[in-house]
Amino acid sequence: MKNLKILIAILIFPSLFVVTNSCKDKKVKKNTTTVVANNSGNLSVGWAQVDITPDKPVLISGQFHARVSEGVMDPVTATVLALESGNGESSEKIFLISCDLVSISDGTRDNAKDNLRSTIREKISRKIPEVSPEKIIINATHTHTAPYCHTASSAKELYGVDLDVMSPAECIQFVSDKISEAAEQAWKNRTLGGISYGLGHAVVGHNRLQVDFSEKSVMYGNTNRKDFSHIEGYEDHSVNLLYTWDNQNNLTGVLINVACPSQVTEGLYQISADFWHDTRVEIRKRLGENIFILPQCSAAGDQSPHIMIGEKAEARMQKMMFPDLKDVGDRTLGLRKDIAVRIADAVTSVLPYMENSINRNPTLKHKLEVVELSRRLIGPEDVIQGNKEAEKWEEEYIQLLKEIQKTPALKEQPKWYTQITIAHTKMRRGKSVKDRYELEKVQSKMPIEVHMLRIGDIVMATNPFEYYLDYGVRIKARSPATQTFLVQLTGSGSYVPTTRSIEGGAYGAVPASTLIGPEGGQELVEKTLEMINDIMEQ
Amino acid sequence: MNNNHSSNNGLNKISGYPFITIYIIHKLITTLKNNTLLYRFIFTIPVFTISLLSVNIKAYADTLYVGTSTVDITPELPVALDGQMHLRIAREVGTPLEANIAVLESRHKNKLIETTVFVSCDLVVIPSEMLYQVKYEVHKLLPGFNTDKIVMNAIHTHTAPVVRANVYPIPEKDVTQIEDYYSFFAKKIGRAIKQAWDSRKPGNVTWGLSQAKVGYNRRAVYADNSAKMYGKTNIPEFRGIEGYEDQNVNSLFFWDKQGELIAVGIAVACPAQEVEERYEINADYWHPVRLSLRKRFNSRLCVLGWIGAAGDQSPHLMYGKAGEERMRNLRHLSRLDEIARRIVFAVEDTYEVVKTDRHNDIQLIHETKDMSLPMRLITKTEYKASQKEIKKLEAQINADPKAKDRLFRKLNSFEGDVIRRYEQQKIQLAPMYNAKIHVIRIGDIVICTNPFELFTDYSIAIQARSKAVQTFVVQLAGPGTYLPTEKAVKGGHYSAIAQSNLVGPEGGQLLVDQTVELINKLWNVSYNQKVN
Repeated sequence: MKNLKILIAILIFPSLFVVTNSCKDKKVKKNTTTVVANNSGNLSVGWAQVDITPDKPVLISGQFHARVSEGVMDPVTATVLALESGNGESSEKIFLISCDLVSISDGTRDNAKDNLRSTIREKISRKIPEVSPEKIIINATHTHTAPYCHTASSAKELYGVDLDVMSPAECIQFVSDKISEAAEQAWKNRTLGGISYGLGHAVVGHNRLQVDFSEKSVMYGNTNRKDFSHIEGYEDHSVNLLYTWDNQNNLTGVLINVACPSQVTEGLYQISADFWHDTRVEIRKRLGENIFILPQCSAAGDQSPHIMIGEKAEARMQKMMFPDLKDVGDRTLGLRKDIAVRIADAVTSVLPYMENSINRNPTLKHKLEVVELSRRLIGPEDVIQGNKEAEKWEEEYIQLLKEIQKTPALKEQPKWYTQITIAHTKMRRGKSVKDRYELEKVQSKMPIEVHMLRIGDIVMATNPFEYYLDYGVRIKARSPATQTFLVQLTGSGSYVPTTRSIEGGAYGAVPASTLIGPEGGQELVEKTLEMINDIMEQ
Repeated sequence: MNNNHSSNNGLNKISGYPFITIYIIHKLITTLKNNTLLYRFIFTIPVFTISLLSVNIKAYADTLYVGTSTVDITPELPVALDGQMHLRIAREVGTPLEANIAVLESRHKNKLIETTVFVSCDLVVIPSEMLYQVKYEVHKLLPGFNTDKIVMNAIHTHTAPVVRANVYPIPEKDVTQIEDYYSFFAKKIGRAIKQAWDSRKPGNVTWGLSQAKVGYNRRAVYADNSAKMYGKTNIPEFRGIEGYEDQNVNSLFFWDKQGELIAVGIAVACPAQEVEERYEINADYWHPVRLSLRKRFNSRLCVLGWIGAAGDQSPHLMYGKAGEERMRNLRHLSRLDEIARRIVFAVEDTYEVVKTDRHNDIQLIHETKDMSLPMRLITKTEYKASQKEIKKLEAQINADPKAKDRLFRKLNSFEGDVIRRYEQQKIQLAPMYNAKIHVIRIGDIVICTNPFELFTDYSIAIQARSKAVQTFVVQLAGPGTYLPTEKAVKGGHYSAIAQSNLVGPEGGQLLVDQTVELINKLWNVSYNQKVN
C-alpha cells in the first residue's frame, strides 16, 4: 500500500509540474476557476494582420520633401478586426482596419475615385459580398515612414522630378490587395467570442505647439529660450482599450486608442511603423506572440510624441532602460521603446480586471453619415499670399530643375532631390489656396464620413482629420458613453485647428494647412455628439 | 565614520548674525500678527533681497551623509481644518499627519561643505511664522545650526489643522488654537530635525523620472473666453481645458551604506486634496503612498512628498468620469488608493531602472534667494466690487449669525483683503512681495522651491530652461497664494482674480527668470571644481 502511494505520487507530481509550467508559458490563460466558458453569445470576432511593406523602393509620405525608401527598419502592417453580431443577412458586420500609413486617401483633396479607402472597400466587398463597403472603417496611425499611397501615377506628378520608385498609385493597389486578403482571412477566422473594455493611462502624446510672449505659436522648436511662455494646449493621456476573447476565455487581441500620432522617428528614409512596431513587440513579449494589436489615434492634430521639455532626463532613463541602444532622447529608438513600455504597461495593468468582465452579447450598432462641414473660408488676401508663396517656390523649383538638367551628375549625389521637391511641394501648396478659394465659391461645405460604432457601453466615433485635441475633449466630456474612443485619420487628413491655435498662427493652423477651421471643427463636435446620443439611446 | 563630525553639529561657518536676524523677525511677526495690513506691509519691504547666508565653498565633496526621521504631527482634537471657504471642525482622525525629514550633508576630508534639510509636512501651507518657530526650536537644540538651509513644504492637504491666522472664525474654547498647534508643531519638528541630523551616516543617492496621471488642470474655458475652476465640461459652451498638465513624477532615492533605501523624495504636480471636503484629519493621497512604499522597501522609509507647480491643478476629474470610476470600482480601490497606485507604480518603475546608478561623491549646493516680486495691484473696479460684496456678506451674517462659519473667510480674508490692499496702494504705489526660494543642486538634478500655488505653466518654463538633467519644482515651500498666468487672469474666476492673488503674472515671470538664473549658475564652471 505504501509503495502504491509512492507510485501515485511519482506519477502525479511530474504531471502537476508540467501543467503548472504550461500555464506559465502561456502568458494569458483562461481562468478556469473563476470564469466559466460561455458559448451562448452572439458575437463573432476575427482577427488578421498583414505586412504591407512593398519589396521595392517607394516614396515615403509625411514630409515636405520627397523621400525614397532606403530599406526597411521594421515592417508596416495593417491589422483587421472583424466583428459580427447575430447571424445571417440581418447580422451587424463591422470591419475595423488600422494601417501603418500616414493617412487614408479618400478623394477629399483630389476627387479621385480610385483612392485608397474606396479601393480597399471595393476589394473587400468583392471578396466578402455580404459586407457592405460602408461597414469598413479604415484608420491610419500617421507613421511618417510608410509608403505614399496616392492616385498619382508617378513621383513626378507629386514632386516634379522623376524618381525610381514604385508609383504611389501602384502602392494603393499593392496595399489594398494585401489588406483585402487580410480582411478575408479575419472574416473566415471569426469565431464566437467576447469583448471587454477598460481605461488606462500613458504619457505618450505631447502638445507640440509652444507660445512666446507675443502670443505667437510655433510647432516644435526650442522651449529652452527666454521668450518661451507656455505650451499652447492640452494633452490627453488616457488609453482606451478594447480586449477581445475567444470562447475559451483566451485573450485574442487588443484595440488600443491613444491621442498621439506614431511619428517619433519621422525623418527616416527607411520604412517603419514607428512606435507601434515597438509597442506590438513589447505587448507580444508580455502577452504572447499571437496577440493581435489594433492601434487607433484619438483626436491629436496638435500632438506628437516628441519631447517638448526635459529631454535630458528622458534620455538618461532610456539609456538605463535600454543599455544596448546607441540613440536615446527625442526622435530615437530609445523614445519609441520607452513609449512602447508605457502603452504596454497601460494594457497589462488593466488586463487583470478585463478577464472577469467579458461581454459576449454586447450591443453592436453602426451608423455612417456623410456630414457637411463649413470649410475654412479663404479670403482674397490668403489667395494673394498663397500666390506669392507659389511664385517664389516655382521660381526656385525651375531654377533647381535647370541645374539638374544642365548637370545630370547632380543626381549621383545622395538625396539630390531634397531641395527641389521641397520647392515643388511648397509651390503646389501655395497654388492650392487659389483652388480652394474657387471651390468655396460653389461649395462652401465639405462632405466627410463620420462612423459611429457602439459596442456595449462604449462608442467609437471617427473623423478623417488631424483633429485638434480640444475638440476630442469636448466630445469626450459630453458623451453619454462609458468610454468614448475617437478615431482620427480615417481619411485623407488636414488639420482642424482651434480658435486659440489660429490666434497663435503656427503650422497646422494656417489656411494652407487646413480645409476646416474652428467653425467646422465645432460643427463636427455637435454632429458627433448627436450621433453618439442617438446610438447610445437605441 | 568619524564621530567628531557628529559632535560639531555640522555647523556651517556661520556667525550668530543670521539667527539673531531671524529671531528679531520672529518677534516682530508675533507682535504684528493680528494686524494683517501692517503685517503685509512689513513683508513688502524688500529687506531680504540678499540671502542671509551664503556658503562660500562651491565645489563638490567626497562623501554624502544622509539622516532621516519621521514625526507624527496630528493635532489634538477637535481642531479646525484649513483649506475650504467655510469653517470645519474635525473630531476624528482619518489618517495621521506626518512630517518627513531628510538631512543631507556633504563632506570633504571630514570637513563640512554643505547642508540641506528637507521637511515635508502634511499641511495646507507653511506660514512664515511657523517656519520661524521651527528654526527657533532647531537653534535651541542645535545651536549655530544653519537654519537657513531648512526647506519646509506643504502637501496642501485640506484636511489638516488651520495654520493661517484670521482666516476662519475658530471657536476660542474646546478647539485646538492656532498658537498651540504652532508650538506643538515647532517642538516636534525641531526634535525630529535633530534626530535626523544626529542619525546621519554616509549614504548614496540617485534620481529618476517616470509619469503618472494624477493632476488635472481644473480650469475649464468657455466659448466667451471665460474660465472657471471646476467648471462644467459637459455643456455646449465648453471649449477646452485652460492650461497644461505635468504628469512627470520626479523621484530622488537615498540609501544607507548597507544598501537599504532610507528616503525617497517624490515630486508630483498635484496638490493632495482629493478628500478636501471631509471633516476629519487626513493626509490625503500621501498616506496610502507612504504605506505602500514602506511595505515594499522599509517600514521606516522617509517619504518626502513634494508638490510640483500645480496652482491650477487638482486630483479631481474634469471629464470622462464614468470610465475612470468604472475602472476604480473594478479594482476595488478608493479614489485615494487609486491615486496612490499610480504614484507608487511610477516610483517603483523608476526605482527598478535607476537603482544601480548610486552616487556618493556628488555636488551638493544649496542656495537661497529672497526675491522681491511686484504685487498684483487692485483696480478701483475690483475695490468697489469687493465693497459691494462685503456689504452683502455682512447683511447675511447679521440676518443669520450662524452664517459666519460659512462666510467669515470670504468676508475677512477674501474680499476684506482687497480693501486693505487697495488702501495700502495709496501709500505704497508699487508694493512688493517677498518670496524666499531655495535652489539645491544634488549631482545632476536640482530642486527649486517657491512659496506659491504656482500655475503649472511657470514650472514648465523653469524646467525647459534649466541646465539640470532633472528639475524638481516644489511649490508651497511657504505661505502660498495662487500665482496665475496671464491667460488665467484673462479667463478670470477663483484662483486667478485679485482676491486670490498677491502676485500676478508679472511677478510670476520674474520668479521664473530668477529661478532659472540661480539654477543655471550652479552649473557654472566655478561650481564644478572638485575640492582637493
